[in-house]
Amino acid sequence: MWAARVSEGFVFGELTPATVETLTGVPMLIESADARVRQRLLPDTYDAAEDEQQWRRHAVPELERLFLSRAQLVRRDLATMRSMPKSVDKVLLIRDEHASAWLSALNAARLALFVLNDLKAEHMDADGYAKATAKQREAVLRIHLLAEMQSVLLGDLELESAGSFEDFILE
Amino acid sequence: MVLRGSTKEQTETKTKPETSLAPPWNVIVHDDPVTLMNYVTKVFIQVFGYSQDKAHRLMMEVHQEGRSVVWTGGREKAEVYAQKLQAHHLLTSLEVVDG
Repeated sequence: MWAARVSEGFVFGELTPATVETLTGVPMLIESADARVRQRLLPDTYDAAEDEQQWRRHAVPELERLFLSRAQLVRRDLATMRSMPKSVDKVLLIRDEHASAWLSALNAARLALFVLNDLKAEHMDADGYAKATAKQREAVLRIHLLAEMQSVLLGDLELESAGSFEDFILE
Repeated sequence: MVLRGSTKEQTETKTKPETSLAPPWNVIVHDDPVTLMNYVTKVFIQVFGYSQDKAHRLMMEVHQEGRSVVWTGGREKAEVYAQKLQAHHLLTSLEVVDG
């Protein structure tokens, strides 16, 4: 995977079928009904049960609507992915106005992968990774891949800068 | 819990002097092993309008101490901040300030 800056936003290219599969999973992870995912994305906020009930009645539905809206935005953007010339790989444009939603959506997906695969903090470093199961290793790799995309959107990486997306694709 | 934006609440705020004696609440962000440090810093800047330095210092406190009190004040505003932080998936809780 590579990334570049164009006038409309961020371009991610050479997205292999495995990467596309990981990205396609992002909205599904956000929408997951798994209790572990719900608990992590909508965590307990108060110690007192009555306060927590009030919180879940009034604040949580708004958060749920926001998460669903982000999942839909990500899904729509993914539907615009294009094929790269003479390749099965894809290219994705994330427009500037969608970057913030993508950042949070990627974070949600990473957190969901973490809890769904019973990962612990130790699995995220090299020693722990070596002790992880095959399924957990795959999840860690997906978590790191999505983190790379987050780093791009955060501006942490120096990117090649091009003109418009269309010009960039035609080159 | 204080309900945001209700007429009743606004009336009570204006007419009940004890509102000012209500205890402050801490907005607490807890560490998690997944969320990127720069992402946390960016969220603090975006949600609170903190400087880069302050946001970075608080992020480091979360990372090193396991939690950080990122804001203290009235309950209603604390809830708004907690909701905004959770909207970005930061592990956030609220606790009343003792004493």
